Amino acid sequence: MKQFLIRFLITSCLSVFLFSCSLITTKNLIKQTPTEQFVYNPYFNNQTIDYIYKAKIKLAKNNFGGLLIIKKIKEKQHRVVFTTEFGNKIFDFEFINNDFKVNFILDKLNRKIVINALKKDFQLLVKEQNKVMNQFSNKENVIYQSKLNKKDNYYFHENKQLRKIVMTSKKKEKVSIYFDKITNKIAKKVVIKHHNFKMTLNLEYIN
Amino acid sequence: MPMLKNIYLVSLLLFLSITINAQKKLNNSDAQKIREQIIKKSTSTNTIASDFVQFKHLSFLDKDIESSGKLFFKEPNLIKWQYEIPFKYSVVFKNDKLFINDDGTKSDIDLSSNKAFKSLNSLIVKSVKGDMFDEEKFDVTYFKDKRDNYLITFTSKEASLKSFIGKFELIFHKNNLDVLQIKMIESSEDYTKIVFKNQKNNEAISDSVFNN
Repeated sequence: MKQFLIRFLITSCLSVFLFSCSLITTKNLIKQTPTEQFVYNPYFNNQTIDYIYKAKIKLAKNNFGGLLIIKKIKEKQHRVVFTTEFGNKIFDFEFINNDFKVNFILDKLNRKIVINALKKDFQLLVKEQNKVMNQFSNKENVIYQSKLNKKDNYYFHENKQLRKIVMTSKKKEKVSIYFDKITNKIAKKVVIKHHNFKMTLNLEYIN
Repeated sequence: MPMLKNIYLVSLLLFLSITINAQKKLNNSDAQKIREQIIKKSTSTNTIASDFVQFKHLSFLDKDIESSGKLFFKEPNLIKWQYEIPFKYSVVFKNDKLFINDDGTKSDIDLSSNKAFKSLNSLIVKSVKGDMFDEEKFDVTYFKDKRDNYLITFTSKEASLKSFIGKFELIFHKNNLDVLQIKMIESSEDYTKIVFKNQKNNEAISDSVFNN
């Protein structure tokens, strides 16, 4: 009896432990054998389009605005520039394959921690092709799991259209990117939401 | 023969582009004269209301980013940029503060602690009035452009400003000396160009315009 109790306690503790550590993103998803080798983000892959967004950033209680400009300048090469409405550059990044270059950043923002956070968000946003590690599904979505910078990224597709990317650590969701108002492979509304601190970036296509 | 034809064509194009871009540098006494006239006009300008079109040029884009709206200025240093297309956004510079209304979302930024931005702001006010003749901050050069308007370039001397904007180019109307265009050129050569239209000087503007 005692042995049973101990076993029961261990099992229940373990299951509580496991349950609390399990990632919410994959909860209630059914794992499948992958049907695709790669998952694609089609929203910033046309070299002939200047992707211009009016951006509203909410950081805790503060609001900032500006223009986010994304341009695919070559195969596997993107320029991501943020300016004020007035035209002054805040930062100017370049993503080349998995490399990253800072062309310009305001002195005040020129800190490793800021640059790294921005880099992670925008790399995830513009990365076109990602290797599929696992595949899941639920009623509405097919979900492809991929890896970038030691983080797991889950690509949610609804009716074969990419609608959400969730970046996670092993236990927690870090960033979600939502794609909405999609016409001609342009996501006219994009929301980047951070889960570990209160920052949301709202993007409205203006071009 | 085709080779010769090509050389001819290229040199013709070169010649054309040189003539099109022709800017005639003013001699010292003409420059001095125009400087005085602009300063005189600037001191007698108490209000400005104008439409504007802004072109943001980034070398890697296919097209400049175009936006437009209205500008209001009132002595001594109230200024409002009201963007209307393609987004609604207005910003008022008042008492060392920026008051922003981003399509209904309001915020303000205190500039008193931000020297670089403050000096940029005061330059913008000065550029709208045309009075930027600060020889300590800028190397000033005077030209006439192809339409006989005055083109004056202000090249930044201060390192802190240079990191934002290396050069301002202002175009003044040949007769009435209104500021027709402001071009702010970054050290990367990317620039913001603002073209003014329907400018009205010294008409009454209510203070409430600057409540954002």
